[in-house]
Amino acid sequence: MTESFALSLATGLAMMVTIAGAMVAAGARSIVHALFGFAIALAGVAAAFAILNSPFVAAMEVLIYIGGITVAMVFAVMLSSAGKREPTQSASRHIMAFVVAIMFLVGVGSILLTTEYGLKPETTEAAWSVEAIGKYLLNEFNVVFELLSVVLLVAIVGAITIAGRDDDSLDPAQPQEDDA
Amino acid sequence: MTIQAWTLFSLVLFSIGLYAVLARRNLIGILIGIELMLNAASINFLAFNYFVGTDPAIGQIIVLFVIGLAAAEAAIALSIILAVYRQHTSIDVANIEELKG
Repeated sequence: MTESFALSLATGLAMMVTIAGAMVAAGARSIVHALFGFAIALAGVAAAFAILNSPFVAAMEVLIYIGGITVAMVFAVMLSSAGKREPTQSASRHIMAFVVAIMFLVGVGSILLTTEYGLKPETTEAAWSVEAIGKYLLNEFNVVFELLSVVLLVAIVGAITIAGRDDDSLDPAQPQEDDA
Repeated sequence: MTIQAWTLFSLVLFSIGLYAVLARRNLIGILIGIELMLNAASINFLAFNYFVGTDPAIGQIIVLFVIGLAAAEAAIALSIILAVYRQHTSIDVANIEELKG
């Protein structure tokens, strides 16, 4: 009984941290603050993954998202807008976005609340192991796994090509144009 | 926790991501919104994986593929953002409306 209460408490905490971080990520004026909120939301999502009996996926979430994607975004911010604040924007854009998001939330939420799934958690310990994931990845999902490696390779080469295409800007004799 | 709590949680996260995509004018802010939506989808996969539970490894593998594709997508998007900034010295979507080869 106490264990299930602790689990519910941890679940609620992870959900609240995630939603709060996501709200900061979506609403913060400064893009750097938004990135911090995004990292907090990702930590909450990783906790939710761990609660859902998938510690390996939670570890990958922390490594790839918080350790990789968020850091890459911070570098992009430093190279581009340099922590500049977003210009004061028209309120109509925010209101329209808010209305669309609320309509989506209410529409899908009403369907979710009226659906009966009739599911109960029934798990066997062995099937959750990393060993099972590894066996699947190298047998049934081998083609997808290799394709994903090719996609990642192409994406990285493409990213280098796109970001480093401008040869003039690499010339040290020419002073680089600085932002105002 | 029931499955409905998890699906509602994932729905709220997705809606926040949708709002960020629509309301933000900074390209990096839009990318953050897309990543939030991807995470909401991953939570849904793992929740159903947990509650159906016939072969729980498969749901985890799908989420691993989603994370890998999100990493590739973020790398491409950030390099495009840097290229756009070099062209326009701005990553505000209001300033980069024109298309030119």
